[in-house]
Amino acid sequence: MTATLEPPAVTPRPPEPDALRASLVLHDVSMVYPNGKRALVDVDLVVPRGDFVFLVGPSGAGKTTLIKLLIRDEVATTGAVLLAGQDLAHLPRRQVPLMRRRIGIVFQDFKLLPSKTVRENVAFALEVTGTPRQQAAPVVERVLALVGLTGQAAQRPAQLSGGEQQRTAIARAMVHDPEIIIADEPTGNLDPLISWEILQLLLRINELGTTVLMATHNAEVVTALRRRVVALEEGRVVRDEVGGYHREY
Amino acid sequence: MLTFTAFSVRRALQGLWRNRVMSLAATVTMVLMLLLLAGLLIVLSGLQAGLSFVEQKVDVQAYLYDGVPPDRVQALIGQVQALPEVSAVTYTTKDQALADWQATLRARGQQDFTAVTGTNPIPASINVKLREPGVYGTVVDVLKASTGVVQRVDETQQVVDALITITNVLRTIGLIMLVMVGLTVLFIVVNTIRMAVMARADEIEIMRLVGASDAFIRWPFIFEGLFVGLIGAALTLVLLGLAAGPISQFTTAIVAQVPVGFDQQLGLELVGLVVGAGVLMGGIGAWISVRSYLIR
Repeated sequence: MTATLEPPAVTPRPPEPDALRASLVLHDVSMVYPNGKRALVDVDLVVPRGDFVFLVGPSGAGKTTLIKLLIRDEVATTGAVLLAGQDLAHLPRRQVPLMRRRIGIVFQDFKLLPSKTVRENVAFALEVTGTPRQQAAPVVERVLALVGLTGQAAQRPAQLSGGEQQRTAIARAMVHDPEIIIADEPTGNLDPLISWEILQLLLRINELGTTVLMATHNAEVVTALRRRVVALEEGRVVRDEVGGYHREY
Repeated sequence: MLTFTAFSVRRALQGLWRNRVMSLAATVTMVLMLLLLAGLLIVLSGLQAGLSFVEQKVDVQAYLYDGVPPDRVQALIGQVQALPEVSAVTYTTKDQALADWQATLRARGQQDFTAVTGTNPIPASINVKLREPGVYGTVVDVLKASTGVVQRVDETQQVVDALITITNVLRTIGLIMLVMVGLTVLFIVVNTIRMAVMARADEIEIMRLVGASDAFIRWPFIFEGLFVGLIGAALTLVLLGLAAGPISQFTTAIVAQVPVGFDQQLGLELVGLVVGAGVLMGGIGAWISVRSYLIR
């Protein structure tokens, strides 16, 4: 009779039902490239909706691979990657574009089209997903206001500062009202002051309810913010806690 | 759907313009291929018309010496008519033959030299129609046997055989050339579109990242290929239209008295074939090009 009072034995947790409502779940994910390189090893990660997570680690630790798995540029060798409850490994090809509209992605090199204005660059994401212009226009103006670029909407990327270019990219990432923003070294090309500006913007977006996952080398920013930090090393999660860039003892 | 089509067409036109040298090269080779195709159709249909014209004409024609007494001619006609293989025999006098010849010359718009010489170089002839084409029996032998009357015997079958041979050879050579030119065109279209795809590599990457469906990535390029085909077809039809007059004369000359040329039937077939082939080549070429970019 006493057995029933004992706590259940501790076993490796499968993704809990809650996880299905999390923005992001990685369960026992390993990634081995065809050339034999093990980029990720048994990665477990749950990012609840509305969380703000830094992904840190040296170059080659697997950050880029992890991001590629999340946007389904690659498929995990083993394990499950769930984005907004959807298992990416079993997502039919036709569904992939729909899934990508639930992710806003921001890169270090901005990936803006030089021949288009700020407004056109942002609208492009709606145009190529079949949104009629009349519907797209108010959305574009709203996200431009969110990132504070209403005044520069008619300029081309070459006329903008790096920070403004990155804000354009963030605006573009926001047009589909995504579940999660994935930012891969968004401040890597920017000077410290502008980096803070971008970070403030991502924090504001996070406060409005969007999950943010930011891969970065920027130790100063990570340490100052005291947010959740997931550290990767040689493909493994070596640390997952609220704290700074470096391990604190 | 409307948004999609407008988007695809706009981007395709932009792409053609940006990549205009290569687009021009593709269009020009497309025109060459379509001209070859059209030429083949025109020549073959001309030969076909000639063939059926010759086939329904008399089967054996015997040219007579000048000045043969009419009773000998009548006797020969009676002799031939009595043969079981023969269905009808007609006699063309020298004057009649000359008048026919002059009419043909007028129809072709050529000068009539017989009026200058004042003599009649054309022989009278006996024209035999067989009951069954190709079953000659002794007809030719009987005609040839009447020495002093018959100068020469022409079996139409020989002409028909010759025409069939020419038609077959032309068709074979034409098809081989067409396949080779067709492959070249396909190759050039594939390359043109590939360059267009490469020029837009950044855009395609962004489109994929923001969740554009494959159709939105693929169709602008397919349209670009289709436009190359359509423009090529239009240019080809304009060239053919300009050349229609001379071609009609040329084909008339080839098959002698047969008035073939651009009738409406052939015209419609040509338009269909040229536009169809152009659009097909452009579309297939573009499809091949974009495919490799999407299978990822």
